[in-house]
Amino acid sequence: MLKSKNLVPRSRLLAANSVIIFVFTILLFRFFHIQIYGYNKYKIRADINRIRAIPTAAPRGMILDRYGQILVDNYPTYILTGLPNEMGNENWSFSVISNCTAIDTAILIDNFDRYFRGRFIPSRIIKDLTFDQLSCIEEHKHELAGINYIQFSERSFPSDVNMSHVLGYVKEIDRSLMSNMGDTEEYDVGDLIGWQGLEKQYENRLRGEKGLSFLQVDAFGREVGKVKDINDIKPIPGQDVFTTIDLGLQKTLEKAMSRYIGIALVTDPVTGRILAFVSSPDFSPDIFTGNTTLREWRDIVNDPTKPLLNRITNGLYPPGSTFKMITAIALLEGLMIEQDEEFECAGIYQFGDRVFKCWKVSGHGKVNLDQAITQSCNIFFYQAVQRVSLNRFINLCQNFGFGSKTGIDLPNELAGLVPTRDYMNRRYTSRGWSRGHLLNIALGQGELLATPIQLAVYINKIATKGNTFIPHFLLSKVPESTNSINLNKETWVNIENYLFNAVNHKYGTGLAADPKINGLKVYGKTGTAQNPHGDDHAWFVGYAKDGNQMASTIILVENGGGGGKIAAPIARIAFKHLFNKNIEDRLAVK
Amino acid sequence: MFKAVYNQASDMPISIIIFTIMLTCLGLISLFSISMHQFGDLAITTFTKQLLFLIPAIVGFLTILFIPKYIIHKYIYAAYSLMLILILIPFLFDTIAGTHRWINIGLPVGVQPSEFAKWIMVVALARYLSDHNLRIKRFTTILFPIFIALVPAIIILQQPDLGTAIILLTPILPMLYWVGARPFHLFILVAPVLSIATAFHTISFTVWAILMGSVLYLTQPRLFFGVMFYFGNIFLGLLSPFLWNSLRPYQQKRILTLFNPELDPLGAAYQTIQSKVAIGSGGFFGKGLGLGTQTHLKFLPVQESDFIVSVIGEEFGFITISIMLIIFSLFILKIVKLAFLAKERFPGLVLIGIGTIFMAHVFVNTAMSTGMIPVKGLPLPFISAGGSFLLSCFIMIGLIIKMSDESIE
Repeated sequence: MLKSKNLVPRSRLLAANSVIIFVFTILLFRFFHIQIYGYNKYKIRADINRIRAIPTAAPRGMILDRYGQILVDNYPTYILTGLPNEMGNENWSFSVISNCTAIDTAILIDNFDRYFRGRFIPSRIIKDLTFDQLSCIEEHKHELAGINYIQFSERSFPSDVNMSHVLGYVKEIDRSLMSNMGDTEEYDVGDLIGWQGLEKQYENRLRGEKGLSFLQVDAFGREVGKVKDINDIKPIPGQDVFTTIDLGLQKTLEKAMSRYIGIALVTDPVTGRILAFVSSPDFSPDIFTGNTTLREWRDIVNDPTKPLLNRITNGLYPPGSTFKMITAIALLEGLMIEQDEEFECAGIYQFGDRVFKCWKVSGHGKVNLDQAITQSCNIFFYQAVQRVSLNRFINLCQNFGFGSKTGIDLPNELAGLVPTRDYMNRRYTSRGWSRGHLLNIALGQGELLATPIQLAVYINKIATKGNTFIPHFLLSKVPESTNSINLNKETWVNIENYLFNAVNHKYGTGLAADPKINGLKVYGKTGTAQNPHGDDHAWFVGYAKDGNQMASTIILVENGGGGGKIAAPIARIAFKHLFNKNIEDRLAVK
Repeated sequence: MFKAVYNQASDMPISIIIFTIMLTCLGLISLFSISMHQFGDLAITTFTKQLLFLIPAIVGFLTILFIPKYIIHKYIYAAYSLMLILILIPFLFDTIAGTHRWINIGLPVGVQPSEFAKWIMVVALARYLSDHNLRIKRFTTILFPIFIALVPAIIILQQPDLGTAIILLTPILPMLYWVGARPFHLFILVAPVLSIATAFHTISFTVWAILMGSVLYLTQPRLFFGVMFYFGNIFLGLLSPFLWNSLRPYQQKRILTLFNPELDPLGAAYQTIQSKVAIGSGGFFGKGLGLGTQTHLKFLPVQESDFIVSVIGEEFGFITISIMLIIFSLFILKIVKLAFLAKERFPGLVLIGIGTIFMAHVFVNTAMSTGMIPVKGLPLPFISAGGSFLLSCFIMIGLIIKMSDESIE
């Protein structure tokens, strides 16, 4: 068999060896090129491959009152999550959890789907787990693959004021909200976002900055542990927001208003700071955390008293007699009236084919401007306002801030309505504007609509002789001036005298507003605004001065009847609380 | 008889054994690293499986040592026929992992008969070429060896297993060259393949045409043949793009998929990129045993077999890769040297054939892992996991020892 000799010339061996050495040299060079020359490039690539940056939530800033008492805080709650990829029998897991928590499986599955972001990202099932629920779930842990709980910061409200319209609420971003938010790098599903009130207004301060935690992931995106050689970026907590609110006063007024539908607003005219802000009825801000059921929620939305409405910035009302100072100022500024000039009030006044009435059926008799304001005579103003040109009157209204937003630091404020000539001509095409309309508007009725916050600016301007600031909640805010108003000094003084008399004169309508504190001067005007939908609204607008200290207050009780009887006493409560000489009483939270 | 084996063992080319042990150990260490983070039962990791596969491998190696050389020579054609039947058997059964590569023998692991086709074909070829009546200088003589290799290659291509099919064809040229075939004849064999391959790229086709002209000018064949050969090839090259375009898209795709199983660009690119990232991020010293993030976070595909070199590159670095490549090159150089020293033609040819097969495996595997050539599933000898392949490699080592032994006759 093996007879053929292996006669191979040496050249063939050399050729074979050369080919072998050549090929291996190429391979060696290739590895050198990748491993030594390309090391840095591929090292980065490998790191990007394996590292996933997981955002860590920053604690949201607190909201405090002016003295540092906490209005909104964070408290840790537990959230139950499920990792879809590791949950075996989902239905079984849900039924076990349902048994432990007494929450319907349908709700659990609904939540789970709502927060679902992918097979390898935990989705939320329940929040606000109680300790009992937690321990029950822990007992059944072996049956619940892929179920975990994590800590989560929830908003809490340690002071027992509601202030729901001021504080607003945060909303948790779910998938449908996220898709509406467009391209945003700051937020992700599951984050909290300020949705109303100060939470929304100062979202950027309160939010803080998320940190990053670096996790190692495998090729399927599953987390397999911490990255050892990279430090986490710590979250930057949100800043606390100190508000101008006086918690004690707020609490007192919330209590005083709890029987009524209406508002109570206290501001500092000198700075524009808001001391108390009550829109009644309100609701506990807790309803936006916790597990509010659909039914409870529906009850709030369908409540005929509209607790969700912020009446101070979004309630539109006829200001009634509180508006009379505008007419007075127009007359004084135009030198159209003498201080002692009198008009006859017989309780009834006929203008063209219309009949206007005074609230006092028997009439006030002969009254001058001072008495007309003090006693809130309507007939005087029906007659006197006829001397004022329409444009002048409307301009004055606008100068006092009616018909435009005040710029308060709350979202979604309304502008109210000052009926200009254009507006009236558009609305009443056939007849257009007439003097009769002016008579109505001068008394704060008719088409004119104002928000209580606008009335606050109006009264603050009177209190400071035009030098007030935009109402605001942020204590550290540099106050912004309101639009300037240029009146004669005498006009301001006269108006202030009228308002003083309205509270202090024996015939004054606002007597009930004075808490009778030594050295405290109270000024104000009541209003009883006719309301086409029911009983009259009771108004009191006014301010109190004690040396340099000043506070203005706006009170409205819807369908409350007479302003002097219903609204003025609430103002007294506010003034009494504020100008109480005993500072400790004032700070005490009753 | 045992004494004979002992004598044989003491005369073995010891370096071949040492290289084999070193490479097998490197493979086991790499597989151990992969197994460190594998889920499931500890007892059946890739590492422990490979350890168990070593038993039949060593048995196979020793068995070859017991078989006298003349028996091998005598019965190799019978073995070749048996081998053809074996590689056809998988077609009778359902596919395993989408292919007809494995025979299910009732064990947890299947047997891949095409692995044995490699060395059986080499030995059969060596017997044919070592026939003393062979007139190697005639062109027609070299057509039969091509036939011997082509039959199993075509069957294996249908499994489909392009990698193994290509490996089966690689020993033909070196063995023909070794036995003294005219280089010009070998050139004629290769020419049509290159004509078609270069036809899709203008510059390479021009270079090829000039090269072919130069070869013809230097070798001075008969004029008629030379002209026919040259223009035949040019015509073939020019024709092939038209032929290609006349195919329907699904036919084109089928052919492309044949040459590149992972035609899905995302898929193939993904594997190559992840493999390069793994190797590159290993740097000079590597990340250390069990610390390769690409490996353990499962970014690397088929890391225990086709991409094992990426694991070595990532965890043990360029230093280990260089040592491994140097061992492989010394190993193959040693085989060629043994072939050169063989006194008879048959063992010399077997050695050349086996050397070529090892060489082809190492080249295709490492070149694929580093993105030099398209992805072809071929394991790295002694290192990649896989029972049939390890057994086949050890049998080839046995054959090397056997064929380099001159003392028995």
